[in-house]
Amino acid sequence: MTTATQSAGGPGTTTSAAPAVIEATHITRVFPMASGQVTAVADISLTIAPGDHLAIRGPSGCGKSTLLHMLGCVDTASSGTLLFNGRDVATLSDRDRSLLRLTQIGFVFQRFFLLPMLTAWENIELPQAESGVGKAERRERTRELLDYVGLGKRAGHRPSELSGGEMQRVAIARALANRPRLLLADEPTGELDRTTGDQIAALLDRVNADGTAMVLVTHDPSLADRCQRVLTMRDGRVESETTR
Amino acid sequence: MNAIPFAWRSLRRQPARAALGILGVAAVGALLFDMLLLSNGLVLSMRDMLDRAGFDLRVTATDALPGQGPRLPKGLATAQAIAALPTVQAAMALRFADATLEVPGRAPLESGFQGVGGAGIRPWTVLRGRELATAGDVLINENVARTLGVEPGATLRLRPTCAGNDSLPAQTVTVAGVAKLPFDTLTAATVIASMETMATACGGDDSGDADLIMVGSRPDAEGNAGSDAAARAIAAAVPELKVLTNEELVGRLERGGFSYFRQISTVLTTVTLSFAVLLITVLLTVSVNQRLGDIAALRALGFSRGRVVSDVLSESGLIVGIGGLLSLPLGWGLAQLLDVILKRIPGLPAEAHFFVFAGEAVALHIVLLAATAVAAALYPVWIVARLPIAATLRNEVVS
Repeated sequence: MTTATQSAGGPGTTTSAAPAVIEATHITRVFPMASGQVTAVADISLTIAPGDHLAIRGPSGCGKSTLLHMLGCVDTASSGTLLFNGRDVATLSDRDRSLLRLTQIGFVFQRFFLLPMLTAWENIELPQAESGVGKAERRERTRELLDYVGLGKRAGHRPSELSGGEMQRVAIARALANRPRLLLADEPTGELDRTTGDQIAALLDRVNADGTAMVLVTHDPSLADRCQRVLTMRDGRVESETTR
Repeated sequence: MNAIPFAWRSLRRQPARAALGILGVAAVGALLFDMLLLSNGLVLSMRDMLDRAGFDLRVTATDALPGQGPRLPKGLATAQAIAALPTVQAAMALRFADATLEVPGRAPLESGFQGVGGAGIRPWTVLRGRELATAGDVLINENVARTLGVEPGATLRLRPTCAGNDSLPAQTVTVAGVAKLPFDTLTAATVIASMETMATACGGDDSGDADLIMVGSRPDAEGNAGSDAAARAIAAAVPELKVLTNEELVGRLERGGFSYFRQISTVLTTVTLSFAVLLITVLLTVSVNQRLGDIAALRALGFSRGRVVSDVLSESGLIVGIGGLLSLPLGWGLAQLLDVILKRIPGLPAEAHFFVFAGEAVALHIVLLAATAVAAALYPVWIVARLPIAATLRNEVVS
């Protein structure tokens, strides 16, 4: 199991000497609105090292998801710099940012966003195919990931045939498909009941323990408490950061 | 999974909507195909009829269309002189008049009366009986045979109207055969006789005059059509007459009344294509708008902008491609139905067709549908290409 989870989870274990996955320096995100500019994220500096397990907490509208989207390179900072693996994300073309997301970052969404017309197997295989992984390797990796998330027997099921927890497991497997350095999860238990949410939280813990840096956005204190670092935000700023 | 299988799965996700789109394209594509066939069908049909008649040149007195200008004096003699040219295989003089045909116990029948002279090819096909052989013989078409109840061997009274003179005495003629004429209309009653028989019937004062000489050229040594060489030879031999090839005749028809069909076809093609573009644009836009969250998630997972754009284009291509394939047999079937209706237009040869299958029409149909697929996808592609990933994901959660 250890070998399978390591290959499923990520490149290796945390070492303090390893270069940071993300180095954000004074990043700010401002949205122009009809009523004036709204600052969603203000002057946040943050480093995420390989194997880090970080939760971002805070009330609704405090800028958690916006920060997560910037860390995941789906949104760009209005000011400040964000380095991913030492590369300034702002200098990358849209195509290069897509490639970066495809190969280095995994996303888990609150609403799963599995493609309904594809089976669990095909949803997991899709990012691998997009990044050019060969068929045999894809097959092996997909089987490995389905076993890893405990859905080896549900490979041929479509999302409509899966429970919420199962869908989120498939979504986690999909996020891990290309062995990302960083896994981002936006309210991963937000649509799930307590028991299922705990199971997903345990799965995410395991992914992190297997070496993948992880950033979670959550309202759920019990999920945040499982993380090594907790960042609390208010009005777009970091109110506090605690490390266990 | 590349864009096309992915698009196929997306279509299958909403089978009813996909089926509606495909059927809509099939219906619109069928109309488009018919318009393309109609734009050139009558011209192609006329060209085919002219070629099948066995004559590739028409000689007339003026530039007027055959039968619509002044007569050729001594046309029969001229036809014989033309037939003697080395580049000419056959020449037939033709004169048009009208006649009233009478059979005891039947109502008189107004008919066309054609006098022919000269040896060689005949444009008609004898269905029953025999060819014209002796003076007083006539050939009749099926309409005459059916209306008057006469068959080969029967006699009938023929009262001609020659050069406006309708007070000529009736002649008794013998039906030698029933023939099919290539340019007869559906309802035409036609009787054919030799020019000598016609001259006798017309009072014998204009023997040999013709409205038209039809000429079949002799193929060259390589077997190619010798129309041009024959036309040059005829023009040199009888410079006062006008020689018209089948191509030139078709060209005149195309520039004349037949151009209406092309204009109507162009207008209807444009309207049809506009409907197709609107239909597919609406379907794809609805489909894309319902999947914005999925598309934003795919982008977040690392799918490039080009990839999601090609997914939408492929979806459009599949709808139009499948609908377009269905539209060909559907359009062809519809064309047969429309052809039957349109052929009832008075004055058109029964053998003429408005819809003639042509490879060019199929090729143009494919090109236009491909352009439709691209044009219809433009707006949904624009939505997908400009989709803000973060804002869309946020909106999906908020909604």
